[in-house]
Amino acid sequence: MKQLRITVDGKSYDVSVEVLEESNPADTAPAAPAPVRSAVVRAPVAAPIAAPKPAASAAGPGTVVSPLAGKVVSIDVAVGDAVNAGDRVATIEAMKMNTFIYAESDGTVAEVTAEPGQMVDEGAALLKLS
Amino acid sequence: MSIDPALLERLENARNTAEAGGGEARIAKRHEKGLLTARERLARLFEPGTFMEFGKHAQHACHQFGMEKKSMPGDGVVTGVGYIDGRPVAAFSQDFTVGGGALGRIHAKKICDLMEYAGQAGMPVFGINDSGGARIQEGEESLSGYGQVFFKNVLLSGVVPQISLIAGPCAGGAAYSPALTDFLIMTRSNAQMFICGPEVIKASTGQVTTMEEIGSADAHAAISGNVHFVAEDEDHAIEIAHKLLSFLPSNNVSDPPHKPMENLVFNPDPVMNELVPADPREPIDVKRVIAQLVDHGDFLEVQEHFAPNIVVGLCRIQGLVTGIVANQPAIKAGTLDIDASDKAARFIRFCNIFNIPLLTLVDVPGFLPGVAQERGGIIRHGAKMLFAYAASTVPKITVIMRKAYGGAYLAMCSADMGADMVFAWPTAEIAVMGADGAVKILYKREIAAAEDPAQASAEYAKEYRDKFASPYQAAAKAMITDVIEPSQTRGIVSMALRNTLSKRETRPPKKHGNIPL
Repeated sequence: MKQLRITVDGKSYDVSVEVLEESNPADTAPAAPAPVRSAVVRAPVAAPIAAPKPAASAAGPGTVVSPLAGKVVSIDVAVGDAVNAGDRVATIEAMKMNTFIYAESDGTVAEVTAEPGQMVDEGAALLKLS
Repeated sequence: MSIDPALLERLENARNTAEAGGGEARIAKRHEKGLLTARERLARLFEPGTFMEFGKHAQHACHQFGMEKKSMPGDGVVTGVGYIDGRPVAAFSQDFTVGGGALGRIHAKKICDLMEYAGQAGMPVFGINDSGGARIQEGEESLSGYGQVFFKNVLLSGVVPQISLIAGPCAGGAAYSPALTDFLIMTRSNAQMFICGPEVIKASTGQVTTMEEIGSADAHAAISGNVHFVAEDEDHAIEIAHKLLSFLPSNNVSDPPHKPMENLVFNPDPVMNELVPADPREPIDVKRVIAQLVDHGDFLEVQEHFAPNIVVGLCRIQGLVTGIVANQPAIKAGTLDIDASDKAARFIRFCNIFNIPLLTLVDVPGFLPGVAQERGGIIRHGAKMLFAYAASTVPKITVIMRKAYGGAYLAMCSADMGADMVFAWPTAEIAVMGADGAVKILYKREIAAAEDPAQASAEYAKEYRDKFASPYQAAAKAMITDVIEPSQTRGIVSMALRNTLSKRETRPPKKHGNIPL
């Protein structure tokens, strides 16, 4: 129980306040003194995470490649589909885990070069965007 | 009876000359390009009015090739101590307007003197690199100057945090001073770092490349792993530096700036339960888990773009500064590979030096299989993680979220590697290998003798999975502290960290261990 004195238009009121629940610190505003850009402090990540391009890929621009060796579970788009950067275009299973492959740029699916069930190497082309 | 005004005037003039650096014309040219001067950078780094300069009136010591007629204010570098967030930090800032910021004997001496002071006073060193390289007129004295700076970098390593900002050219041998420091921040504009530039590479090997490919901030952040933070510009770089320092102690005998909460909060976080997919093949986005665990969702990720299959960074958890090492199952299935091992091992060792507790979040199916990994030395690199964890004496708390398979599980700070407490979610699978692989060895004969080997294999795998795809087998053998709901993780980890903060562990004295580099 906390005692507070509140003054409204020169008239003071004594009130008692009971704190029922500790506030979750995650809900309160940061106490950091300086405003910090979002690039420094990441907001909770909502967008899908694009897998990094394999460094040694010989694939040309617009080619979506597998970031690791594994089995193609599904190609999630078809030739002629329009895709935006960040759309999921394929799923690879490796190490008992599905890895989702996202488009890195906007475009139209020009060619699909892998099919479900197929084993692919790291850096292998899955499809081409134009 | 007062001081001769002429003396004061001379002092005033000398100060003005030093502060003008390379002169108005060169400063104006810099501003036109949108760049700050060496002094402007320090002014943004430090709280106003707190900068105490060392060696303001220094000049170069070269008397050849016409240099004797030239003035080099400060010998091309501004050094001193100022305050950040109420704590003193030593900094040097190379002045590109003075002879291209080239390093001569006095320039190097100023940097070395500053580092010596910082080491003794126990304060971090922040170096702003913007230099054309060695001052050719000073020949081997320049080279010797670099050597002395490197030596000081190494002496200070592990004593005070050293942070480098690459905000201009940093080429050849000069790149090795930042490389010896703990963290490198690099600006996207106007900064290049390389040992041999594209022209030298072409002349000696015929390979055609670009500065973008080998020396840019993006290349170093994502490919080479030399840089820990990419800044859009100089102001952003200073913000990152402030943020980073806010998690670090001033030296290795101080605690990091914990801000413990008066009362720990144990409210369950239902979002954490929602983040765990029912299908074990669906990846968890570990960055979302981290955002829920840390105070205000405030996580300073280190080397965000390099080896993103592991996530490392600094945060506070209910006020306690903590270093997080977490598998990222959304990328490369969360496997450990060469780069991920190097990245994590270095971060673990940094935290250990500066008394920062470690929280390890485990969802790892194994080391990444592949010819390139084996031939690239995944044994040697993966061993760095084992070494780094086992050699660390800070509080170590591990949470097994889902997969914890084989050697990769040990490399993620299992109890055996010295974790003080290990918690497991009900989804945890602690096993020497995955079910399919295990039954092929355990029931090799039975499967071969079966009428339908594939079906037999699947049945044995299911049986194995039912038994081992839970944390209770390991819990029954007292290999973990407790099984907890994901929603309880923040509260329990906070308490585990607080309980373990007073940990003291002594090891036999030695020069240093022999980490497999």
